[in-house]
Amino acid sequence: MTDFAGQKLVDDIVRIWLMATTAISFIAGFALQSLFVTFSILGLSTVALLVLVVPPWPMFNRHPVKWLPVVNASSDTKKSK
Amino acid sequence: MHSIFSRINNISAFLSSCTMALLACVALSSFLFTADPKGTLSISPVKVFPSKTNRYPRRIQEMGFVNFNISADLTPLFHWNTKQLFLYLEAEYQNAQGVNNTVVIWDRIVRRPEDAVINFVGKNKYAFREISSSFKKVPSSYYSLKYNVMPHVGVLTYGEAARTIEPVDFVWEEHV
Repeated sequence: MTDFAGQKLVDDIVRIWLMATTAISFIAGFALQSLFVTFSILGLSTVALLVLVVPPWPMFNRHPVKWLPVVNASSDTKKSK
Repeated sequence: MHSIFSRINNISAFLSSCTMALLACVALSSFLFTADPKGTLSISPVKVFPSKTNRYPRRIQEMGFVNFNISADLTPLFHWNTKQLFLYLEAEYQNAQGVNNTVVIWDRIVRRPEDAVINFVGKNKYAFREISSSFKKVPSSYYSLKYNVMPHVGVLTYGEAARTIEPVDFVWEEHV
């Protein structure tokens, strides 16, 4: 299960992680003059991101939705009459 | 983002945007490398022999035989976005009608930076012929060694590594 706060957290992690690793992989590949380095950094970090974010880990469910208590509908209708 | 499938969908969608941006940056980074290596090219006078043509049975056409010597170090052209180099030797001459012709007479593909130090002595790989079947009205010719850098991502770039300064004369041989 993933609650609403967890969905926001997942969205932030994905956006920041992918933008950062794209920048890091470009800089590392340019410094080492190797496209292999660039795309292995991007690929491995994406695999790590999938492991971190795709399964419904408990940390994405720390703010579960609190529903209102169940109101006994049948007794209410009898009182109003 | 509430289900596994929607999270995978979100990641793959944003990953494709990031990959496109990365590839664009890699393609643009090629313009930062402005190496312009120069080599030397020497050509001996071009021997011209009459020969039979393949297409017409009794027609005689002249064939030019170019012996040349190339030495060039093209390793500076290899950077992270270079896939391979295409090297070609071009003959340039003006024919009797005043038209400038260029003919590729030799080429080579260089795939690795270790092979980019060119020291080649040899003759033309491809037939050097004039369309009017004779070089008699062509005073002389010039030769240039050109290269084409093929990148992994981005645009092809062309350059010239060597050129003959003096015109090269044709020498007619009447018998083989």
